[in-house]
Amino acid sequence: MSVSRISRPETLTAIGIIVVAGVFMIPAVELRPISALLPIAMLAGLIVLSLVLLISDQRKASAGEPAEAMTKSPRRVAGAFLLIVAYAVATDFIGFYVSTAIAIPLVAYVFGFRNPIGLAVATVIALGTIYLIFDFGMSQEFPAGRLGLR
Amino acid sequence: MYSDLVHALPNVLDFSNFAAVVIGVIAGIVVGAMPGLSATMAISVLVPFTFGLEPLVALGLMAGIYNGAMYGGAIPAVLLRIPGTPAAVATTFDGYPMAQKGEGGYALQVAVVSSAIGGIASAIALMLLAPPLSKVTLLFGPSEVFWVAVFGLASIIFLLGNNVIKGLISACFGVFVSVIGSDPIYGNDRFTFGQLELLDGISIVILLVGLYALPPVIDLLEVPLKTDGVSGSKLGTEPIWRTLPRMGRFWKTWIRSSLIGVWIGILPGAGGSMAAFMSYNEARRTSKTPETWGNGEPEGVAASETANNADTASALIPALTLGIPGTAVAAVMLGGLLIHGLQPGPMLFRENPDIVFGFMWQFLFGAILLIFLGGSLATNSFARLLNLPRPLLGSVIIVLMLIGVYSIHGRMFDVYLMLGFGAIGYIMDKLKFPLPPVVLGLILGGFAEENLRLALRIGRGDWSILFANKTSLLLVALTVSVIVGPIIKRHLASKKDDAKRAGR
Repeated sequence: MSVSRISRPETLTAIGIIVVAGVFMIPAVELRPISALLPIAMLAGLIVLSLVLLISDQRKASAGEPAEAMTKSPRRVAGAFLLIVAYAVATDFIGFYVSTAIAIPLVAYVFGFRNPIGLAVATVIALGTIYLIFDFGMSQEFPAGRLGLR
Repeated sequence: MYSDLVHALPNVLDFSNFAAVVIGVIAGIVVGAMPGLSATMAISVLVPFTFGLEPLVALGLMAGIYNGAMYGGAIPAVLLRIPGTPAAVATTFDGYPMAQKGEGGYALQVAVVSSAIGGIASAIALMLLAPPLSKVTLLFGPSEVFWVAVFGLASIIFLLGNNVIKGLISACFGVFVSVIGSDPIYGNDRFTFGQLELLDGISIVILLVGLYALPPVIDLLEVPLKTDGVSGSKLGTEPIWRTLPRMGRFWKTWIRSSLIGVWIGILPGAGGSMAAFMSYNEARRTSKTPETWGNGEPEGVAASETANNADTASALIPALTLGIPGTAVAAVMLGGLLIHGLQPGPMLFRENPDIVFGFMWQFLFGAILLIFLGGSLATNSFARLLNLPRPLLGSVIIVLMLIGVYSIHGRMFDVYLMLGFGAIGYIMDKLKFPLPPVVLGLILGGFAEENLRLALRIGRGDWSILFANKTSLLLVALTVSVIVGPIIKRHLASKKDDAKRAGR
């Protein structure tokens, strides 16, 4: 019972905010008083308001009110987020074009669009358009990748 | 005062500036028509790309997208009963039954004409009201500016959303993000943890893309929407000029809904969906045949579409003059203005009249263009856009987000920061924390702090300087009324309910 009460999304969020705001308080108190005025006011506000949120959510739990699920499909959400982060890291290390040529069909395939011709055409169109508009037309620089690929 | 408005017109008609509005309207209609994508998201993704553009080209794109998206939302609302944007929910009530009866094409034409009329009314309101209001703000000193910032934050927290605690947490978070970087007066680092990239503070664009673009993309991938597709038979399109005479009877609804939309737009915290619902209810209440509403009454489509477009430009009245956006999209557009070095307030009208008044003209032209572009795009072929595979759409948007954020300073650090804000934004979105207070907190936080400290310096550290003149006291009173007003309203409503129950 206690595990489910603590794992309610709002409770977890409130605890998270209190912890993070508490951590930020440490450098905040070392600032000059006038410089620290607004940051400390906001951090204190976050802590107090999160406490109120936590108490109100726990009251709801005591009253038997079920917590609303944050996502319909947590696996898909986690997968989507991980793929996006992986794409950013890949761009950072192996460069924009290579990672984008992999990411567009991969993300679309994993999340349900499985037509190989459609995937290939969409990737070529997307990359070609990006090249023409941003690289060629606007002379925009793209990440070359720390490993030297592009 | 209005001569600047006339002087700005030739600049707007310049080819590139006008083309930006045309492209913006088309892009906006496409984005609005895609359920799950919104004007806020489209403008957030667009803003970083506008860095290298002329201000009027960038603003024209934004004005066009805003206008186009508010109408575009009507397309899936009418054809599939899925509102493309939240503001199009009320359009489904009568639009979808019309499509079921084979009048989908007429419903879309009513929507596009009504959207254009609402947009034109809104642009005219912006042109007439913003310049005089901006003059009032010339009287403001540091303490008044501080109170304006507090008023702006208070109104968006207490008038928007149902949960004040969550609104306050959002605002505190936004204001805290605004203090990251160098101290504006002493120059010492605050919360940079040795990262040079944070010395200049956090760019509003990174926050906007993270908060407004990433959560909808994850939603697109989480639940790929499956539609039955759109068949041509649902439209029954005939040329718009032939259907115009049938719309003449909506004139009263157009006027009433425009006024409602403009008013809701000006109010901070309200938005297009509230305008559309209020307008729909009011039109139904005054209708001679209320029984036909909900079964395919075109006037219902006219009411909601006029109002949701009438709140577009008017939401910029408080944004351009006071720096307080009326809606989430206006907050994002405010961010767009800031990255072009355009600080809202009276100086904006004095220093950049061509740009600010040009922006107003672009809203007007965007609304007029809706009739031509929206009318011709509301066809069978355009409606098939709704059948685009959503995972593919999601993956392309991810790429655009990365390019946009990377292009700001040419560094991956910003991309990682954006992903961090995206994760926070996703959690906030799912737990129903309002997002506009975060954006407003970031915009107004630095502004408020600088003016508070300036006021305290003028008053030699005496806090009573903040209450030293009538304008400050008036702003304090307004802030208090925004905070106390909803509490009193709720109290009275619950008393009324109790009395009703006791009377039973």
